Amino acid sequence: MSERPHLLLVDDERSIREPLAQYLSRNGFRVTAVENAAEARTRLNANAIDLVILDIMMPGEDGLSLCRHIRETSEIPVILLTARSEETDRIVGLEMGADDYVLKPFSPRELVARIKVIFRRVAAGGQRVTAPDGATYAFAGWLLKTQERTLVDEEGVSLPLSTAEYNLMLAFATRPNQVLSRDQLLDITQGREANAFDRAIDNQISRLRKKIEPDPKNPILIKTVWGGGYTLAADVRKL
Amino acid sequence: MKRVRLWPRSLVGQIILLVALALFVAQAINFALLLRERTRIELTSQTAPAVYRIVDALENRDRRNFDDRDRRARVQFFTARPAVSGRARPDVERRAQVMFADVGLDVRSVRVVEDRRPPPMRGWDNFRRRADRAMAQDRPVGRLVMVAEYEPGKWALTQSRLNGSSPRFGGWLVWQTLILYAIVLAPLLWIGRRLARPLRQLTGSAEQFARTGLADPVEERGPGDVRQLTMAFNAMRSRIIAMLDEKDRMLGAIGHDLRTPLASLRVRTESVEDEAERARMSETIDEMNRMLEDILSLARAGRSSEPAQKVDLSALADAVVEDFVELGSPAEMAESERAVASVRPQQIRRALRNLIENAIVYGERAHVSVAREDGAVLLMVADDGPGIAEDRMAEMMEPFTRLEGSRNRETGGAGLGLALVRAIMAEHGGTLRLANRAQGGLEASLVLPA
Repeated sequence: MSERPHLLLVDDERSIREPLAQYLSRNGFRVTAVENAAEARTRLNANAIDLVILDIMMPGEDGLSLCRHIRETSEIPVILLTARSEETDRIVGLEMGADDYVLKPFSPRELVARIKVIFRRVAAGGQRVTAPDGATYAFAGWLLKTQERTLVDEEGVSLPLSTAEYNLMLAFATRPNQVLSRDQLLDITQGREANAFDRAIDNQISRLRKKIEPDPKNPILIKTVWGGGYTLAADVRKL
Repeated sequence: MKRVRLWPRSLVGQIILLVALALFVAQAINFALLLRERTRIELTSQTAPAVYRIVDALENRDRRNFDDRDRRARVQFFTARPAVSGRARPDVERRAQVMFADVGLDVRSVRVVEDRRPPPMRGWDNFRRRADRAMAQDRPVGRLVMVAEYEPGKWALTQSRLNGSSPRFGGWLVWQTLILYAIVLAPLLWIGRRLARPLRQLTGSAEQFARTGLADPVEERGPGDVRQLTMAFNAMRSRIIAMLDEKDRMLGAIGHDLRTPLASLRVRTESVEDEAERARMSETIDEMNRMLEDILSLARAGRSSEPAQKVDLSALADAVVEDFVELGSPAEMAESERAVASVRPQQIRRALRNLIENAIVYGERAHVSVAREDGAVLLMVADDGPGIAEDRMAEMMEPFTRLEGSRNRETGGAGLGLALVRAIMAEHGGTLRLANRAQGGLEASLVLPA
């Protein structure tokens, strides 16, 4: 990666494309802005692109289709821009392999923050965190439904999770039997909603334990590892 | 106390009950007429023998060698008017008069009574009963008594047995009625079911449609007119669905088209130099976006694609409150028992969020708790504000109503919050309840069927 990461911005709306390209340029990125998928493909082939910002709703080939193409041919991270807040769009977008999404109208600062999170993760050699959306994880009699952000118990009753609890639970479910330090957990869970996770990890852990442990005082699922952090002591199956 | 319902509510039930009643009444009338006719025939058939016995007895009265004692015994002679009791039978009297006249006997008067008291049993009857057990049931239960004044001051009296209506006659009637019921009601029942089943399906489909906005077309079957009704219903259903789909598409397009310029504006605000001005601009844009979101949600209410599922509403409320707490908002959750109900969790989250936002904006702080109350689960959001005047409660739930006198007038939103909550509740078969708390503040409750 060069000094200034190269972003490819794909949006058919000039009124968004141009000021956003300017803003991103001012914030230390090299930006190539194009207005449709065909042009984007050309640029992807010709230039070394570090990250793609992609509008979903475009005439001609839409953003989701282009996103799938990018994922099939490369490892370039993708952030989707969407004007629709319907739940289904989020899931579809993330199943197409996008790394993140922002809802229009979005704060350009937040977009930059998310771009940086992705670059930091790529630089650290981290895996993509996004693929799980839409999936269900099963462990120790519990189901974690990522689409609805809920835990489902053995009786089939849903226990909805707060955003922070969900992010933490997902971090554990995707890394079972691994010891995760507080810093690691903070890093993983902040990927998506940076500002929604201000309270200490320990606090969230104890909330989660209250929900899933048979006896929260003597946890057998989310165990404390002295000096290390926490681990989910259960086998997880992805359904 | 539950009233016993004698009148069935269903069409088929009513038809069958009516037909059964009508059949019964017809049978009863039939039976009464038959019984009357039978009695009349019996009486008149007894008239002639009685008349001839009297005539015969009078003719042979003077013969000394009258040896037929039995025949003579059957007619008794009196020189004073014999006392008879029973129901007078003028019809038989008239007939007897005519008969006496026919044989040339000039009687001064004829009196006939029907005596329904059982007669004293004679040896002959006993013998007959013993000989033929089957006849026992035909034992006479009454007498026809005829008194003729054949000469002034002289009377002749004769009695004939009357057979009572046999008990078999009643049994026969019951059987006949039952057979009639079977013949008439069986096909009726069949037609009724043929009618009722498609009607029931139609009702079910209409109810489901009203509740969820989604329903499969109803299978067209049954009699012609029901089939036509089903076809009409299906056509209506398709049209409504098409209209709703069109509405959703339109709203989606409006949403997209409005968000794009908002997004453009939002990006441009970043180039405003003045920090405070920039913050205000982006706040306004966020506000517009929230209003747009609310309007679209309200317009889409009742057409949720989210399936209902069993949810622990205490955990749900806890998760929603926790999200507020995470952002530093003054909200708190009281320890609550597990309370499971079948709901659409995203929608209930939305409704609860709206109530908590209101509580924080208008009432400083949101106290959230979950309780069970006869078959319902209550999600209660109480605040520390001034509450709402009783006469404005209903008004608050209408779209675009905002509380004036709010200290945060500039953050009032579009006034769609409670309207949206109410729409979500309606979709769940629940209600939104607003009440002022005794200790001050407002309590807004989501009442959900458990």
